[in-house]
Amino acid sequence: MSSPAAAVLRIEGLGKNRVDEQGSQVAVLRDVELSLFAGRITVVIGPSGGGKSTLIRLLNRLEEASKGRVLLDGQDIRRYDPLQLRRQVALLAQKPFVFSGTVLENLQRPFQFQGRIPPPGNDPQLRELMELCQLPVSWLQRDAGSLSVGQQQRLCLVRSLATGPEVLLLDEPTSALDRPTVDGLAVSLRAVCRKRQLAVLLVTHDLHLAEIIADDLAYLEDGRILEQGNAAEVLGRPRTPALQRFLTPPTRERN
Amino acid sequence: MTVSVKEIIELAPHNLLWASGALLFAASLAWSRRIGQARSLLWGALRMMLQLLAVGYALRWIFAARHPLPTLLMLLVMGGFALQIMAGRLRHKLPGFYRIVSTSLLAGCGGITLYFCLLVIGPSPWYDPRYLIPLAGMIIGNSINGACLAVERFAAEMTERRAEIETALCLGASCRMACQGPLRNAFQAALLPSINTMAAMGVVSLPGMMTGQILSGTDPLTAVKYQIAIMCAIVGSVALTSALLLLQGYRAYFTEAHQLRC
Repeated sequence: MSSPAAAVLRIEGLGKNRVDEQGSQVAVLRDVELSLFAGRITVVIGPSGGGKSTLIRLLNRLEEASKGRVLLDGQDIRRYDPLQLRRQVALLAQKPFVFSGTVLENLQRPFQFQGRIPPPGNDPQLRELMELCQLPVSWLQRDAGSLSVGQQQRLCLVRSLATGPEVLLLDEPTSALDRPTVDGLAVSLRAVCRKRQLAVLLVTHDLHLAEIIADDLAYLEDGRILEQGNAAEVLGRPRTPALQRFLTPPTRERN
Repeated sequence: MTVSVKEIIELAPHNLLWASGALLFAASLAWSRRIGQARSLLWGALRMMLQLLAVGYALRWIFAARHPLPTLLMLLVMGGFALQIMAGRLRHKLPGFYRIVSTSLLAGCGGITLYFCLLVIGPSPWYDPRYLIPLAGMIIGNSINGACLAVERFAAEMTERRAEIETALCLGASCRMACQGPLRNAFQAALLPSINTMAAMGVVSLPGMMTGQILSGTDPLTAVKYQIAIMCAIVGSVALTSALLLLQGYRAYFTEAHQLRC
């Protein structure tokens, strides 16, 4: 947690209210404080419905926060053009979505969206990234829709990173994947995070994934961060009863 | 080229009664076999007769008046009804409905009608209600149909393709780019009936306006020329109205910061 480098992304007192069915305001996130650093993976764990996805959606402004602020390289994200912001803060959704067309066409889409020249299939940077993420180069001409869910998630990862963001946000990226696939993806993520000096935030309720991938860890329940710090320390000596409950019976969380 | 021009046979009240016999027979069959709809059929027919008779008397009065004001009033009433019909189908599907739809109708239907009347036909006086009103009616009627299909399709696709749209936004797309697919499909849905109608025209169906002109004694070739011209105006207006509606309407689904509204 106590990295000497300046945080790439700083979350300060972030809160989000929603209007429930009765029409009253309900806080889904309260006073969240969190920092992301280059080359480090921060994992937010916690039970479903605790506000994890909402947190992620506030950071690239898919939604607007109700309170607090988020600083990217020291500047409030509300002062960025939203389109520019999303080019620097990539978000990988829970369910991979591939556009119709080949793998290469999918990888070229973000460049077209951003008004940039799409790289050809033999672009060395693109190939290096594909290798890091274990997406075989021989698949470039395959129909993206024919890939398995795990393969599509890899494709989406490469697609998000191809345009060179600083920050990568992942929302339960492994919820549709089996254990070996999760492990493979975790290896790729670690490699790409180190190599590209990405600041990574991953939210999940999958304790196994958190254990194998996190550098820093925060526990989020009912919209509040109850504990955070170095991943090994937090997981090794949970202080709050809530986190102890979340960690102890592993059978309860495996649904 | 001589075609004998005859006056149209006037329909007497008893002729109309005989005509309604077809409908009464169908309704009584539906009633006696208990397959329903008899009441709707009769009620619909009664409504249609009253509406048409009313508009017949109104048109006779407007034609006799020879003044732009009643013509304009009639066009406004038609536009108002068009807006009401669309509101019934679309109000909940399009935030900011009235502003977006009324400007699209005015620019699309109004623009095409005026262009067509003034530049293509050029009646004198320019507001001649005998041309302006029926043409506006056909143009508006077809356009609201297309516009409704466009918005309904767009609204459905915006819900179904939410994951795709958010993925595009996350990859740095503007909201316009993110909803390109739904826009294309909605525009296609609006135009498909017009394109099918044009394909069938003359081969399968003789269009109503042309039939009417031929019945009233017009040379078939003159009627055909009118039909070609009016079809161009109708399809142009359907396309223009739907395009304006979609290109303004998609923004209502997003915030200024390129976020999907819930």
